Amino acid sequence: MKKNVRLLFLFSVIFSMMLMAACSNNESKPEPSNPNDEEEGTAESPGKVEINFWHAMSGAGQEALDSIVSDFNSSQDKYTVNAEFQGSYEESLTKLRSVGGTKDAPAITQVFEVGTKFMIDSGYIEPMQSFIDKDNYDLSQLEENILNYYRVDGKLYSMPFNSSTPVMIYNKDAFKEAGLDPEKPPQTFNEVKAAAEKLTKSGEQYGFSMLTYGWFFEQLLATQGGLYVNEENGRAGDATEAVFNGEEGLRVFNFLNDMNKAGTFGNYGTNWDDIRAAFQTGKVAMYMDSSAGVAAAVNNSPFEVGVAFIPYADDIERQGVAIGGASLWMSKGIAEEEQEAAWEFMKYLTTPEVQAKWHIGTGYFAINPAAYDEDIVKAEWEKYPQFKVTVDQLQQTKPSVATQGALISVFPESRQQIVTALENLYQGADPQEVLDQAAEGSNRAIEIANKTKK
Amino acid sequence: MSFPKKIVFYFLLLFSAFLLFFPVMYAFMISFMTGGEIMQGKFFPQTFTFDNYFRVFERLPLMKYLINSFVVSAGVMIGQLIVCSMAAYAFVFISFKGRDFIFFLFISTMMIPWEATMIPNFFTIQKLDWTNTYQGLTVPFFALAFGTFLLRQHFKTIPKELFEASQIAGLSRFAFFWRVILPVSKTSLVTLGAYGFLTTWNMYLWPLLVTNNDQVRTVQIGLKQLQSQEVATEWGVVMAGVIVVIIPTLLLLFIGQKQLQKGLTQGALK
Amino acid sequence: MKESSVSLLAKSSIWKKSLNARTALLYLFPSILLFSVFVFYPMFRTIYLSFFLTDQHGSAALFVGLENYTYLLESQAFRNSIKATILFVLYTVPAGVILALFLALIANEKLRGIGFFRTIYSSTMGISVAASSVVWLFLFHPSVGMFNRFLSLMNLPEVQWLLDPDWALLSVSISTIWLNTGFSFLILLGGLQNIDGYLYESAKIDGAGYWYQLRRITIPMLSPTLFFIITISLINAFQSFGQIDILTKGGPSQATNLIVYSIYREAFVNYQFGTASAQAVFLFLCILIVTILQFKFGERKVHYQ
Repeated sequence: MKKNVRLLFLFSVIFSMMLMAACSNNESKPEPSNPNDEEEGTAESPGKVEINFWHAMSGAGQEALDSIVSDFNSSQDKYTVNAEFQGSYEESLTKLRSVGGTKDAPAITQVFEVGTKFMIDSGYIEPMQSFIDKDNYDLSQLEENILNYYRVDGKLYSMPFNSSTPVMIYNKDAFKEAGLDPEKPPQTFNEVKAAAEKLTKSGEQYGFSMLTYGWFFEQLLATQGGLYVNEENGRAGDATEAVFNGEEGLRVFNFLNDMNKAGTFGNYGTNWDDIRAAFQTGKVAMYMDSSAGVAAAVNNSPFEVGVAFIPYADDIERQGVAIGGASLWMSKGIAEEEQEAAWEFMKYLTTPEVQAKWHIGTGYFAINPAAYDEDIVKAEWEKYPQFKVTVDQLQQTKPSVATQGALISVFPESRQQIVTALENLYQGADPQEVLDQAAEGSNRAIEIANKTKK
Repeated sequence: MSFPKKIVFYFLLLFSAFLLFFPVMYAFMISFMTGGEIMQGKFFPQTFTFDNYFRVFERLPLMKYLINSFVVSAGVMIGQLIVCSMAAYAFVFISFKGRDFIFFLFISTMMIPWEATMIPNFFTIQKLDWTNTYQGLTVPFFALAFGTFLLRQHFKTIPKELFEASQIAGLSRFAFFWRVILPVSKTSLVTLGAYGFLTTWNMYLWPLLVTNNDQVRTVQIGLKQLQSQEVATEWGVVMAGVIVVIIPTLLLLFIGQKQLQKGLTQGALK
Repeated sequence: MKESSVSLLAKSSIWKKSLNARTALLYLFPSILLFSVFVFYPMFRTIYLSFFLTDQHGSAALFVGLENYTYLLESQAFRNSIKATILFVLYTVPAGVILALFLALIANEKLRGIGFFRTIYSSTMGISVAASSVVWLFLFHPSVGMFNRFLSLMNLPEVQWLLDPDWALLSVSISTIWLNTGFSFLILLGGLQNIDGYLYESAKIDGAGYWYQLRRITIPMLSPTLFFIITISLINAFQSFGQIDILTKGGPSQATNLIVYSIYREAFVNYQFGTASAQAVFLFLCILIVTILQFKFGERKVHYQ
C-alpha cells in the first residue's frame, strides 16, 4: 500500500513539474528568438530596435502591408518592424485592452476609425501630435480631409493609415440599355430612385443596393450635414445622446424604404463579397461600395463600370463624406527608442512612394496626395479613371463636424444597432420606428459607458 | 440480399455520399479556378491550374502553421490521455466519500459554454505569461469531462475480478493502472486521442486570442487571414487554403476510421 | 465491489481511513487543478461580473445587483436570442440524429465497397468549423452560390439563404447538421455493429420484415447510443459559435443571434462584460436544465442490455 502511494505521489509530482516547466516559458519555444522579448531580439542583431506592429489586415491588405514593412526593414539598419496579424479589428482591440499601457504593448496598433474615441480615452497611447511637434513634421503634406477625422481639439492623435470613403458604383452597360446616360449618374435621392426604377428588371436585376453596414448610413447622414450624436457629433465633449434619428436620418431610411417597397432595391446582406458578386454578375445595377473596392469591381465585371459620388437628399447642398478605415496608434509606456522606431516607421509610411504603392495595392487612399503624382499611380489611373472620382469626392468635401465624423466610445455597438434597424426596415418595418429603436439602443450603451467612465 | 434491394441500397448510398461530399468537392473545384470563373458560378474549372495553391503557400507560412497545428493537437491529445485516464481510474477503482459529487462536478463542466469563460481564461493566460507559447494553446484543454466520462464508461466494463486478482498478486494500485488497465483500454484511448486531436486541430478563436505572432499559430488562423473585409477576397486562394487545411485531418480520419468507431461506441455506451 | 477489497485493508485510524480519498485525490489532482483554473474560476468570475457594469477596460466598475438580469429579461433582443437558440436546437438535433441514423443504417449493410461509403459519411468529422463554414458561405451565395444556381436551373425562385430572416436560421442549421453528421454517424454505426446478429437471425426465421426489425430490434437495442448522441448533440447545439460567426454574424434582423454569439458580441464588440456574463449564466442554466430533463425522461426509455 505504501509503495503505491509513493509511486502515485511521484507521478503527480512529475506531472506538476511538467506544468511548472511549462510555466517557466522557455521550453517549448520553436525558435530561440521571441519577438516579444526585446533583449533577445536585439541580441540577434546588435543595435537594432525591434518593434511590433499589430494590424487587422487580411487578404490583399495584408499582402501589401507585409511588403511595405519588409521594404522599410531593408531600407535602413536601425529598426526592425514585425507586422503581426491580430484578427478582426474587434479581436485585435480585445487583445490590446489586456496589454495596453504596459511594456508588453505593441509599439504600433491599427485601430478602426470607430475606435478613435476609445483609444483617446484609454490612456494607452502617445498622441501623434507630440512627435509631430518634436520633429517639426510638416503635416500640411497630408490630406486635410483625412486628418480631420483623427484630429480632436486641434491635436492629431493617430496617424491615418488605410482610409476609404464610400462611392456609388454602377453598371454603365445597364445604364445604356435602360436608356440612361452612363456618363451622368444620378446624384440625389430622387434621381437614384428614378434611375433604379428604370434599371430594375423583375427577377433579373435590381436598380440599387447598399451593404447593410452602419458606415454607409453614417455617410448618407453626413453628406446632408446631419449629426450622429449630440455635443457637436461628440467633438465638443462626451456625447450623451444619439441624434441620428432626426430629419436627416429619416430621409435616408425613407429613401431606402421607398426603393425596397417599389421592388427596386436588392438586399445582399452584411457581407462585402456578396454584394460585390451581385453587382459583378449583373444582379444589381448601382450599389454603394468602399473606394477600396473600386479596382476589383472594374477588374471582375464583364461590363463597363462607372463610379459616382454618393447620393444626397434633394434640396440640400452636398456636404461630402467622412473618412472610414483605420489609423495607427503609438503606445505609451514602452521604451523610448521603441516609440522612436514607431515614429520613423510612420514617417516612412506617409512618404509619397510608399503611399503610391499602398494605394495601388489595396485601393485605399493615399494619405499623402503627392503620391498621386507618382508614375505608378498615374499609370494605374489611366487604367482605372474611376479612381479619380473617389479622390475628387474626398477633396471636395466641406469640413464640418458632420463630415469629420462622430466620436463616441460605443460606436461599434451603435453600428450594430443601425444594422438591425436596416434589416428590420427591409422586412417592412416603419422607418421612424426602427430608427428610434436604434437610437434608444445606442443611448443605453452611451449611458453605461459614461456611467462607468472614471 | 436480393438484387433489387441491393440496387435500392446502392442508390441510397451513392446519393447520400454525393450530397455529403458535395461541399468538399465544390471547394476542391473552386480551388483551381480563376477569379472570373468563380464569379460566373461554374462548377468545373476550365483548366486545372495550381496557381491558387502556389499563392496560398506564398502568402502564408502554411507549412509552419501546419507543423504548429500538429504539435498543439498532439500535445493536447497526450495531455488529455494522461489527465483523463487518471481521473477515470480514480472514479472507477477507488471508492471514496464524495465520489459521485465530484463526478457530477466534472460532468457539469461540459455544460459551461467555452465562449463564456474565454475572456477570463485569456487574462489568466496573460498573467501566466503563456501568450505565444504552446502551453497556452494546450494546457487549458488537458482536463476534459467528455474524455473522463468516456474512459470511465470503458473502465467500468473491466471485470472486477481483475482488480481483486491484482491485489492478491501484490500489484500496487499504480502498477495496476499502468500495466493492466491502460493496455486493456487501448481502443478507448485511441478514440479519445483521435477525438482530442481533431477537436484541437479545429479550434479557431482561442489560438487567435493567445498568440500575437506566427511563432506558434495554427492553420485555422491562416484561413482567417486569407479572407478580407473591405478589400475584395480572392475566393480561389481561400478555397485552396481550405483544402490544404482539411487534408491532414481527413487523411487521419480515413486511416483511423475503424479504430475510432470501435472505441467511440465501446466507451460511450456500456 | 471495491468496498470488499478495501475492507481487507481497513484500519481504525482516521489517517488510514482517509487513505482512499487521499489516493483518489492524487489521481484526480491534475483534473481538479485544471478545471479549477480554466473552468470554475472563470465561471465564478462570470457570475461575479454579472452583477456589475464594466468600464471600457473590462473591469467591474459599478455594482448594479440584478439589473443586468432584469434588463436581459425585458430586452427584446435577448428574448429573440432565446427564441433563435431554441429553434436552432429544434432544427439541428432531431434532424441531425435522424440523418446520422439513416446513414448508419444504410452503411451497416454488408455490401461490396461499403468501407468507402463509411469513410465518406464520417468525413465531416475531419473538417473544421472554420473551413466548412467558408465553403457553405459560398454554397449559400445569393448570386453565384450553387444552391441558387441549381434552383434557377429547375426554374424555381431563388432563395436568399442567409439574408432572409425566415431562411437564415434554417440555412445555418443545415450547415450545422452537415458538420455534425460525421461524428454522430460514427457513433451510431458503432452502436449498430454492437447489436447481436442472432437477434436478427431469429427475427428472420419468424418472418419479420425490414421495418419490423428496425422498430422492434434495432431502435431499442440502439437506444443507449441514441441517448448518448442526443445528449452530446444538445450540448453542442447550445454552444454553436463558429458557423454563426462566419456565415451570418448573428443577422439578418438578429434571426441567427444565438445566445453564445450574443455573448461573444456583447463581450468582444461592445465590451459589456456585465451583460455578457449575465447571458452566460443564463445559458449555463438552460443547458443544465435541458440536460437534467434529458437524463430524467430520456434515460427511462433507454434499453440497457
